[in-house]
Amino acid sequence: MQAALQRTRGRAGAREVAVWDPLVRLIHWSLALAILLNATLVEDESMAHEWIGYAALGLVGLRLVWALVGPRHARFSSFPPSPVRAIGHLRAILAGDRSVHLSHNPLGALMVYNLWASVIAIGVTGHMMTTPAWFGVEWVEEAHEAIFAWLIFSVALHVAGVALESWRSGVNLARAMLNGRKTIPEGRDLP
Amino acid sequence: MRLRFWPAKTRERRATVLAGLILVQALCALFFIGDVIEDFRLLGDPDNPHLLLEALAALALIGGVIFLMIELRGLLARMSDMETGLEIARGHLAEVIARFFDDWSLTAAERDVALMILKGLDNDTIAQVRKTAPGTVRAQTTSIYAKSNTDGRAQFISLIVEELLAGNGLPEAAPDLTERAQAPARRLPERTG
Repeated sequence: MQAALQRTRGRAGAREVAVWDPLVRLIHWSLALAILLNATLVEDESMAHEWIGYAALGLVGLRLVWALVGPRHARFSSFPPSPVRAIGHLRAILAGDRSVHLSHNPLGALMVYNLWASVIAIGVTGHMMTTPAWFGVEWVEEAHEAIFAWLIFSVALHVAGVALESWRSGVNLARAMLNGRKTIPEGRDLP
Repeated sequence: MRLRFWPAKTRERRATVLAGLILVQALCALFFIGDVIEDFRLLGDPDNPHLLLEALAALALIGGVIFLMIELRGLLARMSDMETGLEIARGHLAEVIARFFDDWSLTAAERDVALMILKGLDNDTIAQVRKTAPGTVRAQTTSIYAKSNTDGRAQFISLIVEELLAGNGLPEAAPDLTERAQAPARRLPERTG
């Protein structure tokens, strides 16, 4: 019976779960666009660079508020910053465990906090460079550039992590960030 | 499923529009707050009407963002409730169908065919899908109707629909169904759980 039901349903027993709400997705892609623009197209000392930087700060700020008041999977409580859980997750990966996480997985959660903190640090040092008190101070400029390099490295790692996790768990994570839904393969555990 | 960027369902569209408004309005609020702080530093006069007006605009924008966030959260909660309800209904329907099939002691092949009948496939299509001769399907459907004590496709499908409409799962609610409920071949096993 169950087999017959599944066979006629198309993908055997797979189910879709709405995970990322539209605000999370919009903020994600807007932030990605802001980072991309400021890193490549926009002149470093232009007004546009400053405005895009402030917008990126605002996006992270909005996401932090949404993590307090938003729906379940967007909340801090769904992805607490826990190195212990991240190590446990790493062990599970090495042991061949293929369970699916609905919100960020523990390693991904650490990356999320890292990315947000980096954007905030870049925004703050960037703002300092525009104020009379800190204009031309060397360590501020160096910090701005060093953290930016760290951010680009983190973004590369983030993309690699998404690719690896999609391959490992069988859930297309990039698609989930586009249409908000994770397609969970049949019989997969949800911890 | 195709990857859709613009959601087809009204509620999902509403949620997307709300999220976009929150995003734009939050950035506007940020701009005004920055502007107010900057002006205050330059003018240094808290009684300045221009400053007051700008501060008011910033506050209104922040209030709007908070209100929209609450709205979006409520809408998302309603959408998630509906999805859960549908999920439960689907699970129940599968259970109900399985119990009918068990009760009639259909063979594995007959179960497949019966399910396809419920899904609205005609005999020729079923034969194609199952890669059997149309005659085989005809024999199987005849057997299914005999075992379920129905006289054809329409009545067979209505059995399942009745079960859904009856609500409590007992078909005695309608008078013309009492006879059917009494027929041993059709009686449902007791609900468990």
